[in-house]
Amino acid sequence: MNIKELNKRKTPIVTINKSLEKLKNQPLFQDKVDKANEVIRKVGLPKKKKRVS
Amino acid sequence: MKLPKYPLEAEKSLMVFEFTSSGPKGQIKKIVKYSETNLKDVYNLAFGEKRQSTVEIDDKTISNNNDIDMVLATVASTVYAFTDKYPDAWIFATGSTKARTKLYRMDIGKYLLEIKNDFQVFGLKDDEWVKFEKDTEYDAFLVQRKLL
Repeated sequence: MNIKELNKRKTPIVTINKSLEKLKNQPLFQDKVDKANEVIRKVGLPKKKKRVS
Repeated sequence: MKLPKYPLEAEKSLMVFEFTSSGPKGQIKKIVKYSETNLKDVYNLAFGEKRQSTVEIDDKTISNNNDIDMVLATVASTVYAFTDKYPDAWIFATGSTKARTKLYRMDIGKYLLEIKNDFQVFGLKDDEWVKFEKDTEYDAFLVQRKLL
């Protein structure tokens, strides 16, 4: 697959890098996570409609 | 989005991605992180620069690496990878500043037709989730993959 074809794909090809595991459980961007939690607590999710395809 | 993107690396759960921005300021490592929230299936999406010597991540620095479209296209492509693995996920995102939120809003607006083929897109306006429309200010965004 060449670069042009790669760039046309919506789902990217992802190489697994085990060294990133250490970031998984670290509280990165915690201010944004806090904001997300605050919004969800206050507003919830959009009214449930049937998921469409 | 058929835009150039940077090659991506991730750990196996696809909650943390890394790519390297390349431009006049050099090679800048970026981290994209999906964090669980207090509500099941809702994840916060954030990204920023990875400081080389530490695992500290900075989402407030403006890299000025003249590749913002490519960076945002790469981040958007992680949403496809993430929702392939977690199809029920809701993804919450907001900018670290109002200007950043506006930038993301403009970028979503630019590719809205294409994005709407694959995602339900909502914007947070006056403490209410509404369907995302172009040229409207929002405080945050929420997307969910449409079913295949």
